[in-house]
Amino acid sequence: MIKKRLIFTLLFDKDSFFLSRNFRLQKIGNFEWLKKNYDFSLIASSVDEIILLNVSRNENEIENFCKIIKTFTKECFIPISAGGKISNLDIARKYINSGADKLVINSNLFNRILLNKIANTFGEQSIVGSLDYKNKNGNFIFYSKNGFLKLNINSKNIFINLNKLPIGEVILNSIDMDGTSNGFDFSMLKTIPKNFQKPIIYAGGAGNYKHLLEAFKKKKIDSISTANLLNFVGDGLQEARKLIIKKNIKLAKWI
Amino acid sequence: MKSRTVTIIDYGMGNIGSISNAFNYLGAKIKILSDPDKIEKSNITILPGVGSFHKAMTIIKKKSIDKAIENIVSKGNYLFCICLGMQLLSSESSENKFTKGLGIIPNKVNKFTFKETRNKIPHVGFNQVFFDKDNMLFKGLSSGADFYFVHSYRILPEKIKKNISTTNYGVKFMSSYIKDNIFATQFHPEKSQSNGIKLLDNFLNITK
Repeated sequence: MIKKRLIFTLLFDKDSFFLSRNFRLQKIGNFEWLKKNYDFSLIASSVDEIILLNVSRNENEIENFCKIIKTFTKECFIPISAGGKISNLDIARKYINSGADKLVINSNLFNRILLNKIANTFGEQSIVGSLDYKNKNGNFIFYSKNGFLKLNINSKNIFINLNKLPIGEVILNSIDMDGTSNGFDFSMLKTIPKNFQKPIIYAGGAGNYKHLLEAFKKKKIDSISTANLLNFVGDGLQEARKLIIKKNIKLAKWI
Repeated sequence: MKSRTVTIIDYGMGNIGSISNAFNYLGAKIKILSDPDKIEKSNITILPGVGSFHKAMTIIKKKSIDKAIENIVSKGNYLFCICLGMQLLSSESSENKFTKGLGIIPNKVNKFTFKETRNKIPHVGFNQVFFDKDNMLFKGLSSGADFYFVHSYRILPEKIKKNISTTNYGVKFMSSYIKDNIFATQFHPEKSQSNGIKLLDNFLNITK
């Protein structure tokens, strides 16, 4: 049977590694510092996929990010998705040629012309649509452009639209819970229609293994993403994975 | 031991970087080639592939890579096909338009339907691969080992029983295929952690 996936997301601007809290970015260190302090092979051997996001506000900041993608793909034999700044097919191609398997598209998610171009070139499975949302007393407001642009669409219609897009998967990220380590906001789940066709990656709020476990138990969640490196230092992810498997959640096992 | 050279066919339709990284890791030398005359001289050749079957076959024919593959197979050199690469070995695909494949695997390629799978499409993530004990590609792994898949089209195992593996996604499909010197996987060994590295190492050992 298909296994659920634990995904690790890392944010970069130029050569610096960032953490995000409610979409406010905090610089943690440069890439060399990250490599020295965190054993990537250990992280990569405990997660099913890695997402790398280019969070630079500078539109031209592409080449440095491509170098980072290359470093990861050399050392990690797992799927790697890259996102941020994908405003045209050329940038998409640069990320793919740097070794990315999939592309995370947020700001241009409803740009059908661009999506069609990418899907026709690299296949629908190469596009991971990413949506950010806020929960206002049970009403969901969706955002694009790093949480700056409010989308004028309700949750019922957004899932109908997502089903029709040429994309392979969908990331749902809670801006309220992002980086808080307070656990996931599961109230979004009931708005996802039962017949929704795309695999869902749930993000925002994971702080410890219990949060991950709770989310994996939800039927509508296919994958979980966490970006909070500091919560899973050392062998934290490896231990979390072991504990989750022990609780009968179906995660992949490797020799 | 002399390090082996692995040729990866570059026809613009696959994540060549990841495959070359994985073989590099296993100590092989990599050649990335698109010239059919050079490709057919290679002892170990990889046919990668992600994306559209129709587009891939069109390029392969235009560049005469189909002829090079035919020659590799007739000479008894080794060929390993990954994901779309495996599907290209089939007789035909219903993707996009009806497209003829390389005709090495007699079965057809069709899209997963929600009706048959009762599952989301694409089939993406790690899933279990079931194989016979004597399948040499999986030496050192147990039947039911996890490998990474990402695809919307599949080949059913109809009429083929030996030297294949199967995977269940609501419907049982063919997840790998071996015939003489030809090897193919629907999953991505280069993206399947230590399980995939083991499988690629097994393949390299077979080519010795």
